[in-house]
Amino acid sequence: MATSVETHIPTDAGAATAAEQRRGTLRRHANLARELAVSQFKLKYTGSVLGYLWSLFKPLMLFAILYVVFAKLFHLDRGNGSDNYIFQLLLGIVLFTFFQETTQTAMNSIASNGNMIRKAYFPRVILVVAATLSSLMTFFINLVLIIVIAGALGKLALGWYSLLTPLFVIELYLLVLGVSLLLSSLFVFYRDLGHIWEIFMQLLIYASAVIFPIGLVPDRFKVWVLANPVAQIIEDVRRSLVSTRIRWSVEFMGPAYVVPFGIIAIVLGAGWFVFNRLTPRFAEYL
Amino acid sequence: MSAAITCANVNKTFRIPLDRSTTLKYRVTHLRSSSRYHDLHALDDVSFEVPEGQFLGIIGHNGSGKSTLLKVLSRIYAPDSGRVQINGNVSPFLELGVGFNPELTARENVYLNGAVLGLTHAELDKRIDGIIGFAELENFADQKLKNYSSGMQVRLAFSVAIQADAQILLMDEVLAVGDARFQEKCFDVFARYKREGKTVVLVTHDIASVNLYCDRALLLDHGKLHADGPASEVTALYRRMMGQVSEAEDSAAAVDTGDRWGTREVEITGVRLLDIDGGTHRVFSAGAPVLVEVDYAVHGQVDGFLCALRVDRSDGLTLAQPEAVMAQLSMQRQLPGATGTLRYRVDALPLLAASYVLSVTLHDEHRGHTYDHLERTLAFRVIDEKSRSGLVELGGSWVVEER
Repeated sequence: MATSVETHIPTDAGAATAAEQRRGTLRRHANLARELAVSQFKLKYTGSVLGYLWSLFKPLMLFAILYVVFAKLFHLDRGNGSDNYIFQLLLGIVLFTFFQETTQTAMNSIASNGNMIRKAYFPRVILVVAATLSSLMTFFINLVLIIVIAGALGKLALGWYSLLTPLFVIELYLLVLGVSLLLSSLFVFYRDLGHIWEIFMQLLIYASAVIFPIGLVPDRFKVWVLANPVAQIIEDVRRSLVSTRIRWSVEFMGPAYVVPFGIIAIVLGAGWFVFNRLTPRFAEYL
Repeated sequence: MSAAITCANVNKTFRIPLDRSTTLKYRVTHLRSSSRYHDLHALDDVSFEVPEGQFLGIIGHNGSGKSTLLKVLSRIYAPDSGRVQINGNVSPFLELGVGFNPELTARENVYLNGAVLGLTHAELDKRIDGIIGFAELENFADQKLKNYSSGMQVRLAFSVAIQADAQILLMDEVLAVGDARFQEKCFDVFARYKREGKTVVLVTHDIASVNLYCDRALLLDHGKLHADGPASEVTALYRRMMGQVSEAEDSAAAVDTGDRWGTREVEITGVRLLDIDGGTHRVFSAGAPVLVEVDYAVHGQVDGFLCALRVDRSDGLTLAQPEAVMAQLSMQRQLPGATGTLRYRVDALPLLAASYVLSVTLHDEHRGHTYDHLERTLAFRVIDEKSRSGLVELGGSWVVEER
């Protein structure tokens, strides 16, 4: 049986072409995503005295604990590739926290907006994008703060290669978006995913070389660790911002460097596919 | 006129799981139980077209599929089969205040809600004062929404919703909320939509507003399109279906909403509002003649009875209670089986523009006993071409004496 829902928007002769209308629609959707993101950002911090500072304080606390344990007790800061360990660790934690918090927030973005989904029509993906954008704002503030502090302490290692940083951030964002699409749509139907993902995050922080420098990993395992896109991104951002004495992950990986990018492409594609397949069922299930 | 909405053979079935498996453990331990579903035919081969500029009401009892139909039209639900074609922009909201967040201020909520409507920040910057002003919330714009009364929230939601530039508006029980003044604003906005040639689809339980606003109505019953035609006919059919009025009664005699009580020795079998030409109407001009007709049927022994009308503004303010003393009834007319019609004539309606509702009572001469009472039975509306403000036309005359 044929199923279709079509919307034709009549065009005034000469007034608006189809392309212009598509652009207009895209602009309205982007505007909605931005408004949602801004209000989520505001909501996250209303009612708390310290507000945004909590978003800084949490990774700093994690940093302090890990620093004391691993640098002071296990002396990871003196090992192979441990140059500027404090800022390597701090950068790793901020990048990882962004990945963790965004995916966890975005997972809820569909399930927690049931009322809107049942009562209003707009592309559902906007909710997921908005959730990632509001975490992105926190992340940018944290990242800028670290760079400023490191700069003030003379702990930055800048060069032309530092201009690659935005590319790695975009890479991380694409991964976050893909994972978020996948998780947010599946979470509507399987709420266990919330707990599973939390446990998975505890594993991932160790698997992503956040705490230990990649130099400590035996050479033959380095490729396997860096095949994880989160590890690759963290390592390359460290290299481009805080230390010239560690190596780019491509130097360890050679041709295998395509693997993390391939994984991101697959996650993004799968996320998009699954999300679109499940979208028609959201309104009925929520 | 082209069709704004075409709905062809639309089907929608909901699979209601007998137990919902939202946990993986359940999925894993009940692998084979996925067939434990109960199918609910929410929409069963529904077809209709809505021409541009029409006001369509969709009525039906709870669970008849009317809200599902609206959601299919708005693309919130995908139909299982069939074709829905929409020509024009559709307003994305079905209800007022969707997406309002109680923790945000009125102003922030306007920007958020406006964004769902497709308005950009810059466009809203220009309109925000008008929106807050229309909602009469100038002094509260920066208060959090949770501190608002529900009436204030509705006003805000309404004044944002009407900013939509859509040509097609879909509304689910939008009129079920709000006081008389809010209803006034609804009416004004609907009148504006009509002038602008917008297409409106209204899902509601309130038959009175379908009669008042809609040109045409669809009656859904168990997912099937049961009737499609002029609003007054379809609503009359619906009332009969609901058992509120018996088959024999005149379909134009409306019994809309509200309660009914009394011992029914004398029964009200119909209430009509007529204009000077004898046509039944729900909208009258201020100053025009109006005739109220009340049909009655005597079922038991009565010595005589009184008929009383009551006219309330739709917010409940009672404006008039004319009574007819029927003490001189002949014996024959009191016998069971007697029927008749009582007429109450107003030569020039003194009411000004607002929505009103009529209640009718038949009681004994001492008013100690109610035979039949129809509370808030007939909604009607008065429009005033001269746009006078106030409640009544005093009908006085001016004389100037110059010295």
